[in-house]
Amino acid sequence: MKKVLNYLFKENPVFVLVLGICSVLAVTTTFEKSYMMGIVVLIILVISNFLVSLIRKIVSEEIRIPVYIIIISTLVTLIEIILNKYSKPLYDAFGIYLPLIVVNCIILGRALAFASKNKVFDSIKDGFKSGIGYLIAISIIGFLRELFGNGTITIMNDISSITGYREIIHVFNNSVIPNKLFLTSGGAFILLGILIGIINGRRGEV
Amino acid sequence: MKFIKENGPHIKSDDNSSKIMTRVLIALIPIVCYAIFKNTILVYFFTSQSFFSSLHPLFMIITGVCVSLVSEVLWFKFVLKKSFNNSIKETKKSFSIIPGLLLSLVLPTNVPLWVVAFGAFCGTIVGKMLYGGFGQNVFNPALIGYLFISVSYNSLLGSPLNAYELDALAGATPLTNLTSLGYYGVYDSVVGSYGSLLNFFTGTIPGAIGEVSKLLILVGFLYLAITKTIKWRIPITYILTVFILTAIIGYGIGLGLWYPLFHVLSGGLLFGAVFMATDPVTSPVTQIGQVLHGISLGILTVAIRFLTPYPEGVMTSILFMNMLVPLFDKIGVKLKYAFKKIYIPIIIYLILVVVLVLTIISNVNNSKNNTVDDVGNKVTITETKKDGNKTTYIVTSKGWGVIKAEVEVVDKEIKSIIVTDKTGETQWSEIEKENYIYKVITNQKDINNLDAVSGSTFSSNALKNIVKKVLSEELK
Repeated sequence: MKKVLNYLFKENPVFVLVLGICSVLAVTTTFEKSYMMGIVVLIILVISNFLVSLIRKIVSEEIRIPVYIIIISTLVTLIEIILNKYSKPLYDAFGIYLPLIVVNCIILGRALAFASKNKVFDSIKDGFKSGIGYLIAISIIGFLRELFGNGTITIMNDISSITGYREIIHVFNNSVIPNKLFLTSGGAFILLGILIGIINGRRGEV
Repeated sequence: MKFIKENGPHIKSDDNSSKIMTRVLIALIPIVCYAIFKNTILVYFFTSQSFFSSLHPLFMIITGVCVSLVSEVLWFKFVLKKSFNNSIKETKKSFSIIPGLLLSLVLPTNVPLWVVAFGAFCGTIVGKMLYGGFGQNVFNPALIGYLFISVSYNSLLGSPLNAYELDALAGATPLTNLTSLGYYGVYDSVVGSYGSLLNFFTGTIPGAIGEVSKLLILVGFLYLAITKTIKWRIPITYILTVFILTAIIGYGIGLGLWYPLFHVLSGGLLFGAVFMATDPVTSPVTQIGQVLHGISLGILTVAIRFLTPYPEGVMTSILFMNMLVPLFDKIGVKLKYAFKKIYIPIIIYLILVVVLVLTIISNVNNSKNNTVDDVGNKVTITETKKDGNKTTYIVTSKGWGVIKAEVEVVDKEIKSIIVTDKTGETQWSEIEKENYIYKVITNQKDINNLDAVSGSTFSSNALKNIVKKVLSEELK
């Protein structure tokens, strides 16, 4: 347990390395959008690490960045087409931030720093670790932002056409006026800052 | 050797921060008294409000002060882990009541108490303590509190009018009125409905609790300037810049000298300039830096007032210029020794200001000339059905999206507006909450003076344009 917590919070790409926060700040207005973004990034991260690690001996140092970008953008385009077909509302809600996963620093960073030098299985494990860290971070932020900013928690709404299950919890039952600050990007920045502060403060103790 | 550690500002005279802050508090006392007189005593004696609810502004001030005090003590106690006595001592040293007091003075009269408490808490903790406490903060804590309130609970701020003024006035502050007029209006429509400019000076106009009485603010400024408590260059250059720029703009759009006076005397300009822009921690130290700070504040305020939909602009510009204070100080130190080298930056600066003023003048002149054409472009009548003396117009009007409506007219008077399509209007619920369509129909003869619903200006204007267009069509 301690080990799991350790790598979730000690090596978390969002809270500790502060990487890839574009999507963390932009799409996290509802809980559902946040964890779906996390899952999409996790899938792309694992597959791209796997592919990059497979071809690491063929690709030379000089052209590796274009090659990796092509791999990642192919994967992102695939995911985009799939989402567009099966879950149009989610695809519309993500908007430009779905194609922007191509330039997410976590994915390219893991490809350059780890997958291009290590064996296939290790690379997949590394991608999974980073992806889970990102998924947890973005879910926490999305959960808190929707809770404080709108007073609701969307468990499943946009993707209900796939799963056939719809659930939006109204937490305060309209008795508390939600704080609109958290729905703005500025509020997301403040929330991220507070969370980073708490985690940095606790890092020595864990 | 013994070292004494004290908070800034480190001035060589016998002034210390405690004396400075006490003088600021003394200068604020008459303003607070007048605010309580205007918003509490007048309301209690001349309206039917109960005693308790007429005391609301007083409670707001007390809440602001108490919350900022308590939150600072709690910060020292629980975050910095000091003993309780030490926490109280530190809190006394850092004048924690000032942010809460200033915050409650720049709020309108009807804000709920818990919103004031939220603002005072955020202002003290985020604006002051997170930066390291008194003397370390980059931004003015009271303004940070105001920023948090206006971003989070803008809809709860409510009308700036107290119950006494509601009987006499239409329902807007002078600056909001001016903005809805398109920055151009004759003396009677801009100033006349609030009395005269003398009323603006003495403070019998609607506005935030503490900002209305310019007379008492000027007295406070003189006291603070003579005792050398505040940097007098900042307010003087700030107000002069606003005066000169609005005088030029007023001349450009064909209005007299009352126009710049109106701009200086309305809104929170004087209060902000005297009490907030001169905050000893967040304003430049060098003299040239102070002059530059004041001039830049004035230019930014004029730009926000004329080029954005926000009527006020003082607090935004002070917050923004707080960021540039170190830069002004750096320039100030350099200029003291090398004045000749800067004529190119000064020329560029002047050209920018001239461009700004010309843009504003041409904007205002355009909107002045085009108000009739504008309605013609935004509203189109697609179909007209006549049935006896009843005429039905089917119109589309451009709001945030497009509004489609059926308008029934009998004897040159609009009887009903049925909105058939409002899909593009994102803030339509505000319109329904205010029952705005009914208001539009009852005020159709005087549609220009009807205020838009706050938070849904585009949709309200679209509805108003429909009425204007249909009536002008009917009169043809």
